[in-house]
Amino acid sequence: MRNTLLTKRLVGLFLALSLIFLGTRPVPALEVPPLKGRVNDYAGILAPATARQLEAVLQNFETEESTQIVLLTVPSLDGASLEDFSLRVVEKWKPGQNKLDNGALLLIAKNDRKLRIEVGYGLEGKLTDLVSGRIIRDIITPRFKEGNFDQGVIDGISAMMAVVKGEFATTDSNRRQNRSGDPGAMLIFFLVIFSVLGRILARTPWLAAGVGAVFAPVFGALALSLGGLMLLALALLGFIGGLIAARMANATGVSSHGYWGGSGGFSSGSSGGFGGFSGGGGSFGGGGASGGW
Amino acid sequence: MKRIIHFGVLLLVAMLLSSCGYNSLQTQEETVFKAWADIESTLQRRADLIPNLVATVKGYATHEQETLQKVIEARAKATSIQLSPADLSNPAAMQQLQASQGALSSALSRLMVVVEQYPDLKANQNFLDLQNQLEGTENRINVARQRYNEAVEMFNGSIRKFPASLTNKFLLHLVKKEYFKAEETAKAVPKVTF
Repeated sequence: MRNTLLTKRLVGLFLALSLIFLGTRPVPALEVPPLKGRVNDYAGILAPATARQLEAVLQNFETEESTQIVLLTVPSLDGASLEDFSLRVVEKWKPGQNKLDNGALLLIAKNDRKLRIEVGYGLEGKLTDLVSGRIIRDIITPRFKEGNFDQGVIDGISAMMAVVKGEFATTDSNRRQNRSGDPGAMLIFFLVIFSVLGRILARTPWLAAGVGAVFAPVFGALALSLGGLMLLALALLGFIGGLIAARMANATGVSSHGYWGGSGGFSSGSSGGFGGFSGGGGSFGGGGASGGW
Repeated sequence: MKRIIHFGVLLLVAMLLSSCGYNSLQTQEETVFKAWADIESTLQRRADLIPNLVATVKGYATHEQETLQKVIEARAKATSIQLSPADLSNPAAMQQLQASQGALSSALSRLMVVVEQYPDLKANQNFLDLQNQLEGTENRINVARQRYNEAVEMFNGSIRKFPASLTNKFLLHLVKKEYFKAEETAKAVPKVTF
């Protein structure tokens, strides 16, 4: 009997919580469709042969230059602003290599008769707003006006590739630096400190606590330039920390085990190419141009 | 097993130390400053485009001296107002900057509507290029503003949340930052009478 009551309450709580979470999620006007490959022809304006050819050309281009160019066609924007939607797409797909930001998107909204070239930070130097605008105006839209989407897209993508060719080489993407995460470094640092403290002062917990109480505020003042109340708090924390470390070391008999083993790099942003395709983590700042036909 | 507990306790202590917000608050403030620098550079980019645009339009739209003059004046006013990082916490300074940039936006959009009457100008390659650059810049301003406001929201929230609020109260004394709102006049479609 009590059990069912508890279950009911739990279920109620769960429902309430999930309602809260559902309620706070803003629903965007137009969902960003999933990334299928380099060519995402959701509007179905390209012939299958053209789509395959483009996919191959763009894949080849990425292998040579590491630059990722992605195509998205949608049937309609459903009233969303072209620029907003475009930015949401690249923020989700993240074409371009991490740190190099060498990605670009060609977005075509068929029924709205609008298109946009969205350019990543790394390509803004070559594929400027001006150049993007000319590609749209002089190369793509004349073909679109004739109803020849295949040729317009092929010419447009070719022009984009020609403009950014030589801007990056594949080797650039190997030079990506690994960021040493701040929390990770802090964590390792404290683990080392506590481990050493515990090891040395394992047999005398109170001494350990005293050392901790002295050491922590000194460290706080020197390394973090803290002062006042915070030092007091640190002293207390150091006291407890020293005590715990000593007790733990005593209890386990651990004397020289290090915990700082696997602190390898935080690698991110693989560029795909084998099998599935995914964006490499490029960033965008609204560069590019829009147009219509 | 005990080593796992040992490890867990150490992890907890380390997390406690890093959760006081001393570092993260400052990182977040830096993010706000960086986002603001992005806004400033896009605003500067727009200001740099205007002399060229005015010169191009002048050659064709000879009857639009008044509109052009307004753009030039609004540009001069907008570029004269710059905010230092400390000003980001000053509502009056932020308000002033928003107003001047908003006035420039609306003067520009009025100009772009007016030039619709000049087919020669609209076919001019140089003008079309400038138009692309101007649109691109406006879009960048929007993106930069959105990101700045997100950074401010994050920062303002953080300095009020426990326990970082205590760290801020006793140690850092960081002040809440102002949002950069889009001017209402910038959004309104300009009316043109012929």
